[in-house]
Amino acid sequence: MMFWVMAAIMTVAATTSLLVPLARRTKLQAAEKEFDAEVYHDQLREIDRDIESGLLTGEEAEYARAEVGRRLIKASKAASRKTVASSPLAGAARYVVIVFLPLMAVAGYLAIGSPGMPSQPLAARIQPPSNENSDIANLVAQAETHLASNPEDGRGWDVLAPVYFSLGRVQDSEIAYRNAIRLLGSTAPRQAGLGQSLFAQTGGIVTADVQAAFQAADDLEPGNPLSSFFLALGMAQEGKLVEARTAFSDLAGRSTPDAPWMPQVRLHLEELDKRIGQGGEEAVPGPDKEQVAAAAQMSDDERREMIGGIVAGLDERLRENPDDLEGWLRLIRSYMVLGEAEQAGDALNRALENFDAGSAGRQALTQAATQFGLAAEKVNQ
Amino acid sequence: MIVELGHYALVMALAISLLQSVLPVIGARRPDAALMEMAPAAAIASFIFVLLAFAALTVSYVTSDFSVQNVWENSHSLKPLIYKFSGVWGNHEGSMLLWILILVFFSALVALFGGNLPFSLKANVLAVQAWITAAFLFFVLLTSNPFQRLNPAPIEGRDLNPILQDIGLAIHPPLLYLGYVGFSICFSFAVAALIEGRIDAAWARWVRPWTLAAWTALTAGIAMGSYWAYYELGWGGWWFWDPVENASFMPWLAGTALLHSALVMEKREALKIWTVLLAIMTFSLSLLGTFLVRSGVLTSVHAFATDPLRGVFILGILVLFIGGAFSLFALRVQTLSQGGLFAPISREGALVFNNLFLTTATATVLVGTLYPLLLEAVTGAKISVGPPFFNLTFGPLMIPLLLAVPFGPLLAWKRGDLWAVCQRLYFAAGLALLTALAVTYFATGAPVLAALGIAIGIWLIAGAITDIALRSGAGRVAVPIMWQRFKGLPRSAFGSALAHLGLGISVIGIVTVTAFSTEEVTTLKPGETMVSGPFALQFEGLKPNTGPNYTELQGRFIVSRDGNRFATITSAKRIYTARRMPTTEAGILTLGPSQLYVALGDETPDGGTVVRVWWKPWVTFIWIGAVIMSLGGITSLFDRRLRIGAPATRKATAVSAGQET
Amino acid sequence: MTRKQKRLAIIAGGVSVIGVAVILVLFALQEQIVYFHSPTDVVEKQVSPGTRIRLGGLVAENSVARGQGTTVEFAVTDTANTVSITYTGILPDLFREGQGVVVEGAFQPGNPLFVADSVLAKHDETYMPKEVADSLKKQGVWQGEEE
Repeated sequence: MMFWVMAAIMTVAATTSLLVPLARRTKLQAAEKEFDAEVYHDQLREIDRDIESGLLTGEEAEYARAEVGRRLIKASKAASRKTVASSPLAGAARYVVIVFLPLMAVAGYLAIGSPGMPSQPLAARIQPPSNENSDIANLVAQAETHLASNPEDGRGWDVLAPVYFSLGRVQDSEIAYRNAIRLLGSTAPRQAGLGQSLFAQTGGIVTADVQAAFQAADDLEPGNPLSSFFLALGMAQEGKLVEARTAFSDLAGRSTPDAPWMPQVRLHLEELDKRIGQGGEEAVPGPDKEQVAAAAQMSDDERREMIGGIVAGLDERLRENPDDLEGWLRLIRSYMVLGEAEQAGDALNRALENFDAGSAGRQALTQAATQFGLAAEKVNQ
Repeated sequence: MIVELGHYALVMALAISLLQSVLPVIGARRPDAALMEMAPAAAIASFIFVLLAFAALTVSYVTSDFSVQNVWENSHSLKPLIYKFSGVWGNHEGSMLLWILILVFFSALVALFGGNLPFSLKANVLAVQAWITAAFLFFVLLTSNPFQRLNPAPIEGRDLNPILQDIGLAIHPPLLYLGYVGFSICFSFAVAALIEGRIDAAWARWVRPWTLAAWTALTAGIAMGSYWAYYELGWGGWWFWDPVENASFMPWLAGTALLHSALVMEKREALKIWTVLLAIMTFSLSLLGTFLVRSGVLTSVHAFATDPLRGVFILGILVLFIGGAFSLFALRVQTLSQGGLFAPISREGALVFNNLFLTTATATVLVGTLYPLLLEAVTGAKISVGPPFFNLTFGPLMIPLLLAVPFGPLLAWKRGDLWAVCQRLYFAAGLALLTALAVTYFATGAPVLAALGIAIGIWLIAGAITDIALRSGAGRVAVPIMWQRFKGLPRSAFGSALAHLGLGISVIGIVTVTAFSTEEVTTLKPGETMVSGPFALQFEGLKPNTGPNYTELQGRFIVSRDGNRFATITSAKRIYTARRMPTTEAGILTLGPSQLYVALGDETPDGGTVVRVWWKPWVTFIWIGAVIMSLGGITSLFDRRLRIGAPATRKATAVSAGQET
Repeated sequence: MTRKQKRLAIIAGGVSVIGVAVILVLFALQEQIVYFHSPTDVVEKQVSPGTRIRLGGLVAENSVARGQGTTVEFAVTDTANTVSITYTGILPDLFREGQGVVVEGAFQPGNPLFVADSVLAKHDETYMPKEVADSLKKQGVWQGEEE
């Protein structure tokens, strides 16, 4: 609105500035040749000055004076002064201006302009734009450019870290969280985020690193459900089944029944009960104690290799036992973490074959697919 | 909102200039006073609206509004403030907007200070200016709109090409355009005069200040561009005969010719047809230059972006204006009356000589610039026409011209006495000859051409001084009177003497650098020493350094002469963060008029660094000379003769609109 | 001199100056023109040693080798053919493997190496020397946004 008010003011100003001379009853009273005569008068004066200062002498000066004089006479002869007034044409021209100027300006602008689009100076855009349509990848790329030149911008890292995580770029999100912690200090959400990034990289194993991160989060904010959950999971994987069970039921006790992590907690409680009942034997094949311990010691490459082995085993098992939804989800996530998007897509498609349209399993898979940005051939069928 | 208001203002400027293109012409034909009087108002209004648009774009740059595509493409929030400003015209769209701004600026100047012009001429001149304005506004709005928006705004911009992030570039284009586009006024005067079919000595007087102003700015602009290329590109060259350089050099050559021929026309009413033709040609060459640079048809250091549609559009404008003007010229040439007579040996004769050589030289540059394009278009063969071509064609044409320069101002109008002038110049000639001998004697092994070239420079300088001395009455009157006369000389006399003197200085600079500069390329490890000219440079090694938007490796050199260390030079390899683009920052040590120029190359595997060092004796004379030439132009501009009054009771505004209603 | 003679003198002078200029231009165009070739042109057409040419293409990957002092050897390719270049001096800032480049120089008699005395690289990230872009287009390698 403001824009059109300003535009209207500009239009009125422009139209008026052209109308004023057209509306005035101007009379131009001088022959065109008088202007020429003025120049020749000036030239004569100049010759006089030159003679005075000795630059022109004798014959030369005479010639020059005579020549300019002739021009002057010629100009004066034609200079019968007449008055040029404005004619009815000026009236017509006024209408042309009044109609054409605003019409042309507005129509021309509407054809190519973006009326109403606000200016977006940098200062107003410190908050990342909340526009839903914005291309996340594009924004991330720009943020990266920005951070490449401003690696000390902690806020930038802090904002980017969870975005990376949700895009499945867990290694990048780990680095981003570490930078944010280094630059802005340690907080529970940052430590927990770091822990999750690390956990995702290990393919679902609570290594010493993961544990340390969640421990730090827990120290900063005791009772944080996220850190409680992962610390409990860590105990379970280490084989401390009873302690793990206590921790999980503690968490369940503190949470409302509809809390988002409760289904997972119940699942783990059930499983732990089963295992404790069987005397600590493993019921669900997963990384065993040695594997976990080993993973914590390994170099990144070795760990990756080991995880690759585990994942391959999981894949194999799911071919024989395709109803295991948890297994499928874990497989897809693992492939994503390993950076094998194609494999992940393949796994997704195979998983989808086993779940009917509309079933809860299918929904969970579809959700996972969107989360990882996977294009499943059959997702939308 | 500011951005969109700027966009709207630009469209409004187009609408105004369309009206300004038509109504005043009708007014001048009828005649109708109101329609003619509307032209200055429209010219000033369109200047204000283009200025608003330009200001809006500038605000977007300064506030890093990346929702404007042009800003996003060429700016960065971290860029130093001055380059946010200069970034406005450091790109195609913005520089075209600047082009138009300067065009309407000149129109507004004519509107404001054209009180001494006949009404109909003024109306027609402003209408022709509006034709050009409208054509280029269409071009900008349809093919190169700087107000294109992006939604949502990207977080960070892509940054200005680092080699354009330089103070030289901040000043160079505005100056260059002031010259380039300033010649549009000469064009408009020529076309307006052809429309009216009336061209006389007074016309030349009215055109001259505009020619002078444009020429002055163009001289300074070219010199600035040359110096920028010299220190920023890191190649140590100051003129590459690059097509883009030629594009600005051709209007300069033609404009210089115009400046001189307008003088003849003003004084003697001779060379009328030629002067009008030259006025049209000069601006046509400016348009051609705009086409060459902005259409991307060239392979050149300046071809930063290309867009075929733009090329075709500008080509259309080019054909329309040049073709139209020449057709009009052909139509009216019969009606132009003959002017004053003169003998071949006379001031007029000398100026014709000047024009002949300048325009022929312009033609050779034109051939060298366009031939590769035409050949490729016709046969598909790709060639490059480099400095050897221009040295062989342009060079020889300049020698007689430069030799003739001191004669011109000393010859009398109409019929001159060549022998008398020779006698007056014996001092200058003797000095030049002595210089030539001295050069051959002291600089053993110096090429004969170098001695000759320096002698020509001295000849020009001494000739200019002789001119002023003789005008002051040297040798004929007593010293106090001489001083009186000296003070009383018209400014234009000083102006032309300064311009000729500056030319001499530039010539000396060009010749000494060409003949005596030395270049060494070698690999240095820290602590090692190399020799360049009379100097020894000790390399101290590379050291990292960080700037506001770049990181660099600085190489330091300790300069010594005969064992005395007296200075250090720092040269750097820079990487601009946003574009990851490397540049070379040459290290330049100025010693009097000479310079020691150091450029860093790559590091070699064995820990050395490739270093290129030039010793350029008297190199700064090239640009100092050009600056003096511009000063000459400015001095002439302040000549009182260019401020002729208008006839008394020029107009009587009888009844205003307010009283009427 | 009569008016007519004066004019004739001026015209004669003008014509002779223009004549000299035309001769100079024609001579210079004959002698000082440098043709542009792609590596394929060089291989197919057999450029004779000593003829100055411009050669444009991409700097071949892994071809840049520093020799003695400031001498560099590299290869220029248009993906179909490759020519080895030797150059002494400072390479431009944007000289990189895989990037477009134009070199100027000549082949030496009895030596397959092209001796370049100037190397031009593009001047910014989005710009490629026009000749190179054209000849790469011909080879179908370059997918520019033009056309």
